[in-house]
Order: sequence, then C-alpha cells, then structure tokens
Amino acid sequence: MTISRRTFGRIAAGLMAASGLVSVPALAQDMPAPFDNPEEVTIALVRYLSTGDFFQAYLSGVESQAEALGVDLRVLDSRQDAALQADMVDQAIALGVDGIIIQHGLTESMREAAQRAVDAGIKVVAFDVDVENEAIPQIEQSDRDLARLALEQAIADNGEEWTAAYVYVPGIAPLDRRDETWQEFKERYPGINEVAQFGTLDNPIANSNANQARSVLAANPDVTVVFAPYDEFAKGVKIAVDEAGMSSQIKIYSADVSTSDIAAMREPDSAWVATAATNPAVVGEVSVRALAMQLAGEDVGASVIVPPTLITQDMLLENEITNMEELSVRLPQFAHADVATPEWMPLPAR
Amino acid sequence: MTSQTRPETTSASPMDKNAIIDLAIRFGFLALLVGMVLFFSFASRGFASPQSAVFILQSVAITGILALGVTATLVVGGFDLSIGSVATTAMMAASYVMVVMEQSALVAVIVCLVIGAVVGVINGWLIVYMRVPDLLATLGMMFLLIGLQRIPTEGRSIATGMSLPDGTTAQGTFSEAFLALGRHRFDLIIPNFIPVSVVVLIVLAVLIWFFLEYTRFGRMMYAVGSNAQAARLAGAPVRAYKIWAYVISGVFASIGGILLAARLGRGDIASGNNLLLDSVAAALIGFAVLGAAKPNAFGTAMGALFVGILLQGLTMMNAPYYTQDFIKGFVLVIALVFTFALSQRGKQ
Amino acid sequence: MVANAVFTINGLRKSFGPIEVLGGIDLALAPGQVTVLMGANGAGKSTLVKIMSGVYTRSSGTMELAGRPFAPATPAEAIRAGVVTVHQSINDGVVADLDVATNLTLDRLSGTGSKLMFNPGRVRREARAVAERVGLDIDMKKQVRELSLADRQMVSIARAMAHEPQVLVLDEPTSSLSSAEAERLFALVDRLRDRGVAILYISHRMSDIRRVADTIVSLRDGVITGTFDTEPLDYEGAVNAMLGRRIDAGQIEARAATGAVLSAKGLRIAEGAEPFDLELGAGEIVAVTGLVGVGKTALAETLFGLRTPLGGTMTLGGKPYAPRAPGKAIEQGVFLLAKDRASSGIVHDFDIGRNISLPFLRGLSAGTIMQRGAEQQRARDQIAALNIVCRGERDEMSALSGGNQQKVMVARWMAEPARVFILDEPFQGVDISARRDMAAKLRASAQGRATLVFLTELDEVFEIADRILVMSEHTIVGAHRNGEIDFDRLLSQIAGDGAAQAAATTTTQEKTTAP
Repeated sequence: MTISRRTFGRIAAGLMAASGLVSVPALAQDMPAPFDNPEEVTIALVRYLSTGDFFQAYLSGVESQAEALGVDLRVLDSRQDAALQADMVDQAIALGVDGIIIQHGLTESMREAAQRAVDAGIKVVAFDVDVENEAIPQIEQSDRDLARLALEQAIADNGEEWTAAYVYVPGIAPLDRRDETWQEFKERYPGINEVAQFGTLDNPIANSNANQARSVLAANPDVTVVFAPYDEFAKGVKIAVDEAGMSSQIKIYSADVSTSDIAAMREPDSAWVATAATNPAVVGEVSVRALAMQLAGEDVGASVIVPPTLITQDMLLENEITNMEELSVRLPQFAHADVATPEWMPLPAR
Repeated sequence: MTSQTRPETTSASPMDKNAIIDLAIRFGFLALLVGMVLFFSFASRGFASPQSAVFILQSVAITGILALGVTATLVVGGFDLSIGSVATTAMMAASYVMVVMEQSALVAVIVCLVIGAVVGVINGWLIVYMRVPDLLATLGMMFLLIGLQRIPTEGRSIATGMSLPDGTTAQGTFSEAFLALGRHRFDLIIPNFIPVSVVVLIVLAVLIWFFLEYTRFGRMMYAVGSNAQAARLAGAPVRAYKIWAYVISGVFASIGGILLAARLGRGDIASGNNLLLDSVAAALIGFAVLGAAKPNAFGTAMGALFVGILLQGLTMMNAPYYTQDFIKGFVLVIALVFTFALSQRGKQ
Repeated sequence: MVANAVFTINGLRKSFGPIEVLGGIDLALAPGQVTVLMGANGAGKSTLVKIMSGVYTRSSGTMELAGRPFAPATPAEAIRAGVVTVHQSINDGVVADLDVATNLTLDRLSGTGSKLMFNPGRVRREARAVAERVGLDIDMKKQVRELSLADRQMVSIARAMAHEPQVLVLDEPTSSLSSAEAERLFALVDRLRDRGVAILYISHRMSDIRRVADTIVSLRDGVITGTFDTEPLDYEGAVNAMLGRRIDAGQIEARAATGAVLSAKGLRIAEGAEPFDLELGAGEIVAVTGLVGVGKTALAETLFGLRTPLGGTMTLGGKPYAPRAPGKAIEQGVFLLAKDRASSGIVHDFDIGRNISLPFLRGLSAGTIMQRGAEQQRARDQIAALNIVCRGERDEMSALSGGNQQKVMVARWMAEPARVFILDEPFQGVDISARRDMAAKLRASAQGRATLVFLTELDEVFEIADRILVMSEHTIVGAHRNGEIDFDRLLSQIAGDGAAQAAATTTTQEKTTAP
C-alpha cells in the first residue's frame, strides 16, 4: 500500500465531511478548471441496468465520487429499454450537461447517441458497453483478471492436477471473457481434468443451478474443484455440495461477491473457499474520476481497468468480515482502486 | 402413492378392438417414465441409487408444490399465472421478516402463508366478482407482485447483514429453525436421507389428491370446472369454490416460496417465471397420465417427477441447458397431443 | 295465393340426413305486406330462414325473386340478389366497438371497390343517408355499445336496408326488447312496409303478431298448417294451427291434490307484468303452458331461488319461503330440472353415477369424504328405476342418447324426496318412448310432493298433467283440469286474448305501455 496521496485524500475528505456543508470549495482552488467552480459542472449517468445489488452499489460509488468532486449529478435510468437509453443521451445533451457516463447498454443502440454527445462537445465515458468510439474511454472491470485470480488461487490450493466441474452459460459477455481464461488455464495445466460442464440462468438462478449441480456431483463423485465464475452459480453449487454432504471433498472458486456470498463462504466447513471480485462501488467512483479527468483535459487512455481483488475464506474469517461494509473497511485493497487518481482528485469520504 | 390411485373413469371405447389403443393412452406415459428410468440407469453411472431418487424428488419439490396448487385452479376451469411470483414474493417476505424485522421462523412462515392466501382471495375476487378473465387477472397479479417484492428493500436482494436503504445494516438473521426447512434431512433407512421439502411435497400431494378425489368439495370443484351452470343449479356456491381454488393455489405457491427461501438462505429478487413455466408444464403433462384428460393431482405429481427425472438424467449426461429446455417443451407438446387427441375421442 | 308476389317458394324441402325438417313449403310474399311466420320450437322456422338467406341449400323445390329463380349459395349472394335477413341475436348484426356511422356503412368498407382511405366525414355522410332512408334518428358518433338493445336492433335493420332489399326477413326481432322498445321497432316496420318492402316476420309473440301482421302463416313439423290473410285475422286459428290438436285430452285420470305444499300470493316476475297467485298441492302434477317467451322459465327460476320476485310472497309447507340461492331451495326440498340439459344439467366430465349424485353429495359422504359405495349403489338403483339404457353407472354421458341423458337428469333429482319438483321443458330433444317412460315415472311417484312441469307443447301437457295453468305476458291467465278442457278457451288464453281484448279498443301507442 502506498501512502500519502490517497491517505491525504481520505483525511481531506474526512475533514470536509466533518466541516459540514459546502465542503468542497475549501479545496476547489486546487482543482483544475472546470472544477474550480464544481457546482457549475453537471454530469449525467445514463443507465441501462439498475435493479440488483451490483447496480445499487455502482450507483452509490458514482454518487459518492460526484459528491466528493462537488459536481451536480443527474441519474437517467432507462430500465433495460435500449431505445429509451439512447433518447436519454439526447435528453442529457439537451440539458447541457458537461459529461456523460453510459452504464451498460447495447452497442447498436448507443453508438450513434454517444457520437452525438461527443459531437456536442460533451465528454463521455462508458462502463461495460462498447460504443466503438475512440473519443470515449472504456471503464472495465477485468473479467479475465477475475477468472485469473480465482484460478491462481485454485492452483495454489490444489496443485496442478485436479478433477474439475465447470459452470458456464455461453453467450453472456462477461462469462464468455471469464471462459477464455479458463480455457487458457486448461491448456497451461494439462493436469486439470474437466469432467463436467453445466449451468443455467433460469431464475432463481441459485436454485436451478443447485438442482443441476446435484446431478453432476452424483454422476461425477470424484470432482474436487468446481470453478463457478459467477456468484449465483457458486451459491447454487454450494447448496448442492452441502446437500450431497461433500463439503470436505470439494472446493468452489468463483467470481463476484455480495453480503450473502460472504455469509455463505464463512459457514463452517464451507466448500466455497475463494472468490475474486471488483467492488462495484469502486467501479462507480472510477467512472466518475475518469470522466472528471477528461473534463479537466487529461488523457485517461482508451480504457480504464479496475483491478479485482482476491477474497479467500481465510481472509474473511481472520478479519471477521461479515458483510460488504466490513469487507471495504478491513480489506483496503477492495475498498479502493488506485486508478484514475491524479494529484488534485478529491476522494470520497469513508 | 401407487400407480393405481386413480379410479377408472375414462370410458373404454365401445369397440373392443380399440382396447389396445386405450391401454396405450392410459398407461403410455407411465410406461415412458419407467423406460426413461431404465435408460438413464444404464446410460449414466450413479443414476440408479436411492440418493439419486431423493435428488430428483428434491429438485422437483418446489415446482411440484406450485404445480399441485395450479392444478386446483385448473380443476375449476381457471388458471393461475401468478404462482411463480407468489413464491418469490413469499421468499422475499420470509427473508424480510427475519433479516430486517428480526422476527422468528414461525412469524416468517405465517406471514408467507397469509400472503399466499390474500393473493388467492384477490385473484378469486378479480375473476369471480370483477369478471376479469383468469389469465389476465393473474397476469396482472404477477406483474404487481414482481414489483411489490422490490419495494421494501428498494430493489435489493435480502441477505443476513445486508445494508438497508437508510444506510444502516440489517441486524436479523435467518433463524436456524427456518433454515432447517431447507437443510434438515430425516432418517429413512439411510441416515440424513429425506429432505424436508420432499416430505412437504409428498404430504401436500397426498392431501390435494385425497381432497380432489375423495371429498365432496373436490368433486364439486370438478363439477364447477366442467359445467359451472350445472353445478350452480345443483346448489353449489360456484363463486366460493372458484375463490377457494385460487386460495389453495396461492397458499401452495407461498409454501413453495418458504422452501425456496430456506434452501437459498436469502431472499433473491426474482420473477419466478421459470418456476411458473415448469409447474404449469408439470400440471399439463399430468393431464395425459392414466389417460385422465383433465387436471388431476396424481398426474401433476407424475408430471413433475417426469420432468425431474428427464432433467436429472440429461444433466448427468452433460447435456447443455438449452437442450433441456427443448426436451421439456417437446415432452409437453407430446403430452398435450395425448390429452387432446384423447378428449376428442371421448366426445365422439 | 298472393297475386302480386315478389318472392315465392314452391315445394321447398330440406333434410338433414334421414330427418326431414321441411316437408314441402309453399309461401308467397307480397310487396308492402308483413307476413308473420308462426311456429313452435323445432317447427322449421330457422331452417327456412337459413335457406332464404343462403346459409343452407335446399334439398328440393324452387324459390323465385321477382320472377327469376333464386338459389343463393352464400349469404352474400342472397343479399346481393335482394333478400336481407336480420338475425335474432342482435349483436350478430352490429359491431359493438364501432360508432353508428361506421356500422351503417360497414358493408361498403369491406366490399370490393371500396376506397382505401377511411374518411370519417364521408362515412358519416353516407351513414346519414342510410339512416334517413329508414327514418332512423340516432347520433352517428355514438358507439354502438352505448346504445340500448332497441337502438342496436334499429341500426342492424337500417344497415340491412342500406342494401335496398326487396325482401326483408326479421327473425324474432323483439325477443330481447321491452314493449316500449318494441313499439319503436314496429313503427320502423310500418315505414318499411310503406316503402313497398316484402317483409317476412318470424315470431310467436302474440302482441307482435297482432300489431304488425297482414298475413299469418303457421308452421308445424316442417309443413304449413294454416294461412290466414282475411280481415279480421283469426289469431286463435293461427295458434291452433301452430300447436296442433291431434292428441286426445283426458288420456290420463286427473287426480286431486291433497293439501297445499307451495303457495304464492301476488307474485310478480317481470317489470310491468300483472301479479298472480299460485298454489301447488301434494300429489298433483301441474303443467304450465304458454308460448315461448311468456315467462315460464322466469317463474321456474323464481321458485328455485335463481331470481328474486319483484313482488309477492311465497310459503312452503306453511312457512315463508324466499330462497336466496339454488342451494337454499334444494335444502328445503325444492328441486329444479333446468331446461337445456347440455348447458345447464350435464357435467360432461362426469360419468352417469357422478352426474346422478351431484346435488346430494352431502348425504353420500361421511363428513366430507365421499362414500363411493353408497354413491354407486344410488346410481345403480336410479338406472334401474328409470330404465336408463347403458352398460353401467361408469358410462360417459356422451355415450347415451338424448332421451337417456334426460333420464339421468330426472334420476338425479328423483334420488331424494322432493317437496316441490319443478321440471322446465323436460321433454326437449327426447324421443317419444323415453318421454313416456319419464311421464309414467313422474306420475307414479307424484304422491307426497308437488310437481310443476313447464311445457310449450300441448300434447306433452295433456300426457302428464292433472292441472294445467296457462301463462301469457309473464302472468298466469288461465287454469284448467285435464279431462275437462275447453279447448277454445285454452287456445285463446295461450294466444293472449285476455290482454288483446282490452287492447283492441285502444290505440297502438297506448297498448305498448300496457303489460
């Protein structure tokens, strides 16, 4: 962990929070234009997906970083309506915002709208949607890194030879990217023997996958590692492992994390030993920071990658972490990403 | 349950040369079931074991319970599209009661059952008194519930230690007694063998089967479904029977939701549409069992088992999930052909 | 024969399989004349209408329109040729979700050569022309669903008139109208008559017939049994010809009742109808007869708790009787065998045994659990008692003939002792031997209960009843004892002469407000 800058930022943010209202102008003079007058900067978050814990947390990250900067944030939520989302970009242009964050969406529907925003002189960043525009940096949580961290832990725990079951549903972009890493690992470690692949997105997803996992484990009682690179899959596998009484024999490696995932991992004899995750709140903060840098005339590059964190059962137990807040507090590498943090950037209070 | 639980009500064809066809229609589906079990037993190691049988029952327990409920509405000539969302709403309610309101397992179960009953009464009221067609009324209720379950937590799933909309952290936990509903196993020859959900499924199946086949109320429900005017003129309070059918459906769905919450140990935001589709498929496949050509509890249970065995076997053989959907649909279509070809014959 | 007929039918026959429905019809319609066709249910009226409107094709015989052969293969062809039919069900003639103007011009909208674009102004202009031609005064912008039944009927007729037909067939046009609404319809019929349209008016409502008929033709069993075209019209003769009088009355020995079971005082069952009293005694079979639509079913339903009477009181066994639902009536021993067994009697998914046990499951169960042994025993007993032809109580209802199905319905209600047993048209669609069986069984078991049978056919009435009540205009207008019947008086009561005499002296406008 490096020191000063972030620590300073956090202390500063703490002071700002303590000093009460209109806290930002205290620092405003130190910030480059247009943030010398932050209350006159308006940014818009145009969302495609919004329901669910991940998106809630993402929004809270966006909100807290916007607050730290002191800018005006407008949230436009299209609730999975692709056409409406494109209209909302136009709406934001009409509102005269300075910057836009496009959160998810479809390439086909957003490409034109994003170009119109760029043409209107508005700075745009996109999270988890490729709008095929060189002027627009991508904010990404690295799915490949997620899978890599989890699988490296699996190798560290189990050596290079084991019998595996793999949970995968093709056609879902993040899962496809995680799958690429899995295929690479199987090539690199020929000792990994994948005997079964299953998975479904029927909801409730955990319940449906538990049913499938039960069958797979019955057919393949020699499985020792299950790679389930999505926490809903892992939850289902864990239920099946518990029901089959195989928790001492099987280890589950996954991606993503939530409060209930933490509880499941902390259970006595839990087979779910590790997960790799990016904090969605941090992704939200990074999105705003990247946009702010653009507005200040700094270059962030074509993509901003938010690195994931490995979370193991042992870490959770040692640090007595039982929910997402405690995870943020006690695993600082999870609470914060050292990305898009120029000297002047105020960081959210924690 | 044995395979001879239903009385023989189907008409034998007037001509004896049709006896073989009748036999095929009556026992065809059960024969297919046995054939499928034999096939998977040889094709997939580990399929033919008592554990595997329990797996199958457990995997169909929740959809089976929902299917038994929807059977009650099918019997009175109605339909209930809201069962899936009733189940997920009950799941959310149970989680909310325990995690956020910090109440006991008993309170959670009671709240769920009350929700199921109230939804049933409202569905029945809409259909009987407001004259909204059953499919539309329960479709509306489905959307309403999908939205309603998100309101208390502002769209968050519920888990122990979750953060609440006001920023605080929920203090309640899933009580051990409640989780036992999803995790406890009864000893039967083999220790820790039969899960609670399977016991609940079997008890409810026997109950609803006995109710429909052997009580006068069940008989009247069938009469209402076949000819409501005739039932009314025979003195039956037709409206009350219809409303009761939706209450049964709602309560069964909420029981399914309780078991779901107990198995998952949290409250997931979910529409429950897959639960709805699977349970409706089970009930419709049930029409074809024993050539009943009408909704019946034994057929529904067999239909659920049929789907469960099929999916279990296919998963064990590493068939990908989309082939499973395809085969589920295929079986349903075949069952409907059995049923409707049969009922055409009956009318001639 | 009519001299200047525009439409003639000669020797028309129609058979469905081996059953001959029309056995040689000769009919002539003159322009500017209303010819009323009377006939009981099953006489062949609707078959005749369907042949004229091109729905059915005739088996033999000829039709001529204005001297040219007329043989429509489709309804559209009949309309093009100039024969337009307004069917009984009003809503078949209009589209409820469109406005009046669109309804009036609907046929042009969809015909070939119609304009592609829909122009509301032009449509309304055309519609107004159509309406003016028949003297119809209705807001063109109104949705048809907002109109009264009578207005819908008018729109439907005006729409038919847009084709400028030479022959207009009105099939029971007043069957769902009140008398005031009916008068507006009659005024329209008068205007059409003045325009020289030949009108065939199908009805058995005597008040209609008196009001509009220039000629009456009676149809019975597929043949014309009487034509009345000389003033004053012989209404009784027409009814007589329609109902027939071939059965010997007094073939049974009328019995007297022993003590009242059900009595009603001042009962009123329809808006504007006269109140009446009714008394049913134990051991007697009372038949209520009258034309279709005079309130027989309404009375049956009132006694069974399906309708609330508009006035009057009922007592059963000396105690007040006001059932709120069929279940309450059944509990008190009042049973109804409803008319039309297919829609309101048979539970099609149930076998014979379960159909028989339906209303009395409580008595056949221990607590709530059915006792199947007792149920099957009851079914077997009833099958034997009513001589139902079947293989056993597990046969499906669909395997039975109409007569045997009806026997199952009778068996259902005779399985438990009744205080009042009401049968509404029990012999509809029943062959003669099954009818005799049921009548004999009813008479043999009549002791101890009051039996009330609603019948339109007089020969059925004479076959079963001890006492005969006549209904007309929703009230009871006459009572007779079987065996000592004054036929002329009976027929004139059925034809509604009591009401007619009062009305004959008043103007037609006033008559419509009378019951």
